[in-house]
Amino acid sequence: MSVLDSIRDKVSAKERLTFDDGVALFRHPDLLAVGALANEVRERMHGDRTYFNRNMRIEVTNVCVASCLFCSFAKLEEHSPGAHTMSLAEAWSELEQRMDDPPTEVHIVNGLHPGLPFSYYEELLTGFKRIKPDVHMKCFTAVEIHFFARHYGMTYEEVLVKLRAAGLDSLPGGGAEIFHPEVRTRISHDKATADEYLEVHRVAHRLGIRTNSTMLYGHIETFEHRVDHMLRLRDLQDETHGMQAFIPLAFHPDGNGMKNLPAPTAVDDLRTLAVSRLLLDNVPHIKAYWVSLTPDVAQIGLRFGADDIDGTIVHETIYHAAGSSSPQGLTYDALVRLIREAGRVPVERDTLYNVVREHAPNALPEAAMKVKDRKAARHLAVVSGS
Amino acid sequence: MQYLNARPLYEGLDREPASARVRLDLALPSEVARRIAEDEADVALMPVAAAATIGDLRIARGMAIGARGRVRSVVLVADRPLEQIEELALDLSSRTSVILARLVMRARRGGKEPRLIGCSSADAIASVGGVRGALVIGDPALALEGRFPHVVDLGEAWMQETGLPFVFAAWCGRPGALSPQDESLLLEAKTHGLARRDAIAADHAERIGRPVESIRSYLHDAIQYELGDDEHRGLERFFDEASRAGLLPKTRVRFFDDDAPHSAPAARRESPSLDKLLARASEGERLSAAEGERLLADAGLFDLGLASDAVRRRKHPHDVVTYIVDRNVNYTNVCTTSCRFCAFYRPVGHAEGYVLTRDQLRAKLQPVVDAGGVQILLQGGLNPDLPIGWYEDLFRWIKSEFKLGLHALSPEEILHIARQESLTVAKVLERLHEAGLDSVPGGGAEILVDRVRRKIAKAKCTSDEWLGVMRVAHQMGLRSSATMMYGTVDTARDRMNHLVKLRDLQDETSGFTAFFCWDFQFEKGTTLTPGDNGTMLYLRQQAVARLMLDNIDHVGASWVTQGPEIGQVALRFGADDFGSVMFEENVVSSAGTTFGMNADSMETRIRAAGFKAVRRNVRYDWLNEPA
Repeated sequence: MSVLDSIRDKVSAKERLTFDDGVALFRHPDLLAVGALANEVRERMHGDRTYFNRNMRIEVTNVCVASCLFCSFAKLEEHSPGAHTMSLAEAWSELEQRMDDPPTEVHIVNGLHPGLPFSYYEELLTGFKRIKPDVHMKCFTAVEIHFFARHYGMTYEEVLVKLRAAGLDSLPGGGAEIFHPEVRTRISHDKATADEYLEVHRVAHRLGIRTNSTMLYGHIETFEHRVDHMLRLRDLQDETHGMQAFIPLAFHPDGNGMKNLPAPTAVDDLRTLAVSRLLLDNVPHIKAYWVSLTPDVAQIGLRFGADDIDGTIVHETIYHAAGSSSPQGLTYDALVRLIREAGRVPVERDTLYNVVREHAPNALPEAAMKVKDRKAARHLAVVSGS
Repeated sequence: MQYLNARPLYEGLDREPASARVRLDLALPSEVARRIAEDEADVALMPVAAAATIGDLRIARGMAIGARGRVRSVVLVADRPLEQIEELALDLSSRTSVILARLVMRARRGGKEPRLIGCSSADAIASVGGVRGALVIGDPALALEGRFPHVVDLGEAWMQETGLPFVFAAWCGRPGALSPQDESLLLEAKTHGLARRDAIAADHAERIGRPVESIRSYLHDAIQYELGDDEHRGLERFFDEASRAGLLPKTRVRFFDDDAPHSAPAARRESPSLDKLLARASEGERLSAAEGERLLADAGLFDLGLASDAVRRRKHPHDVVTYIVDRNVNYTNVCTTSCRFCAFYRPVGHAEGYVLTRDQLRAKLQPVVDAGGVQILLQGGLNPDLPIGWYEDLFRWIKSEFKLGLHALSPEEILHIARQESLTVAKVLERLHEAGLDSVPGGGAEILVDRVRRKIAKAKCTSDEWLGVMRVAHQMGLRSSATMMYGTVDTARDRMNHLVKLRDLQDETSGFTAFFCWDFQFEKGTTLTPGDNGTMLYLRQQAVARLMLDNIDHVGASWVTQGPEIGQVALRFGADDFGSVMFEENVVSSAGTTFGMNADSMETRIRAAGFKAVRRNVRYDWLNEPA
């Protein structure tokens, strides 16, 4: 029996896959066979439903004390060229400008700024809630929470409790990169370690704060490192069940410390989505993040294990600093169309995956391609030759 | 002339009561099939091979054009016995008779066929002699009776091989196109027509100057107009043998009344399951247009991918993906066609119109030579200021100055030159070939269905003209590529008809090297709204094309339009070629699609998709070892 057959049997029996299974899936030559397997699991969990939301991203500061090799966004100091920190009013105005068609989620991720008071972040959150009380604030990666704890002399729990009191609703999954120390010490040696990242999530889950998680792949890591990364997340999820979605993030090489490396190709992107769907049996959602993948590859990803495509975004800067060719935002209708063209059912969700609006299962493009029934004609058009 | 044996079936249709209901047209057999394929007619008296190629048609009971033994009008002629024939000249477009001839020869010669030489019917007859025989059909066959020492009557041969009658043509249409009432009108017309056979024979004999008795006995004794159980079995047998020989899609005979709710379950055959269809497709069996349509609509993405990947692997077992280092040079943007999907062209006299000078061309071609490139793809608008001599001089100059292949001038441009110079297409191609033309690019095919072409590119050539240029080019030994641009006003059925037209021509000429497709690239400046396109459809469409085009060797992924990422994924959906390294391409990029890829980047993507990379030339020869 081939490796894939044995994995297929486990998948049908809903058995858990092992480390070796994960590596075998990465190495298997037949991309489509791996994709089909992930699709089976995805459809078992979600049918054709595919989630997206109305969100906006804000990066309030790119000043950062960490020096990650893969980053094209961070500027080390406040007065470095290109460094910018928004005033609170500037940050809030991003939402105020969109109140005619407001997002349901504000997603904030920042550099690790050494010079701001903790109250800046508390006021930031409070201000957004003042503008739109029901907006969901998905803010600060575990790496930022860890930095706040060290920098302001608090425990993770104290940081999270204070921020929640100010308006924090959930944590995004950024900053995970690759957990394995062989990689992490080389690409981001001076920020939260794997254990620290996971501990922040553990504490957040215990407090009832939901999180996402990520993996930055396609640079110097091996397939073994990727599988190790996913299994560490799976272990934590067994313990807490607080993780909503896993988002594989493709490395983009422009303008950073690893610019001599090629970016991962689409085939690797799709396979990584598929393997994560198969390994992370306890994480409800796998996200094909269109900013990282391009909308086209993300669309195909909806058949390779992903059931979420992220949101409208509006103005993304981190990936675009690294040379992403994706547009900076997609309209609501463009996302609906993208999902429908994949033959899936678009479901607008809020950040916690409550359904906001389920769209009709319009099976584009197939339905549109079927020829309409012939009209009954008065004459029978007959043609003869032979 | 070719209508003689059909007249008894259709002539009664211009009388009451049929005349009040039926609008009858007469046309050549290929045109008859096209009207059913493109939904322009309800019912047609159609050659059975064409019906199988369209697929999922229904047949009217009780009427056909067939033979129980000797038919006289479909014969192989030669100077020596059939067993000694090495070449057979024939008009390859008469598909039913061609397939019958091939089956009979295989049966009688231990599976061996002579080499087929496609040509006109008159040329075929004229060329008979020595080891060459000919297939002759219709009036010429009757006229030749007694002239050649060796004649094989194919109706008789079929009867000897199978013990069954042969059916050449029958009334066919889409399911539901013919009601029981309409069917009885056709039967009444037949009764009337059969009674008039003597009058028809007299009329025809006078027209072609043949003895009336010969024609009379042909209509009475040779041609059989019944379609009963024996004919049904004969037709099933023909479909069965032709599909096993890979000459026709697998077809079962189904009658219009099989769909009726009261008909017996045995007659109401369910269409085969999607899984079976996919299995047949991945085995490389020939598919009908209807089957292609069904796969495109209903098959899962992975099933299509795996089936097309299996076909790709069987045709190219080395897991190699090729690419070419060439440059797309657009020698002029001045064009008279004003296609609605094109943002590149400028009308005559427009300030932005250009024709490249020799200096500009040198600046574009030298880098190609320096980069190890092997050819240029030279295309442009239909510029009325450029005579054929301009092209000849240009080709000679390019050939003398640069060591590059010349993949130049799509059919539209060749037709334009022919019209402008009042020359035949053959003459234009001959002169350009002489001047250095190596191969013809397959651009401008768009969708080879005239209803679609009229809507998106009114001034462009018709489907038949496009195919006609390719036929002539192939017959001269020039190779060409084939393309499809979909996603405007076309339906899935139009796309499948397009693929079948390419496949039919390829059966005749074997001149297409490769097929590429892409969806319409929308941009401001074009006046056409895109249909429901999208990346998912591209992958499905390319996979179905790989499954349909069983006789075209290569399928290329169009990364220029889909982007390098999707282009790479498409390599797993039936493609074995990655197109060309990009120096420049003006037409698509003026529609807003701009991607770039150099050789390294292409090879990286090819390898990451699990293949080895090889550079090729225009004939798809490998230029280095796979790596």
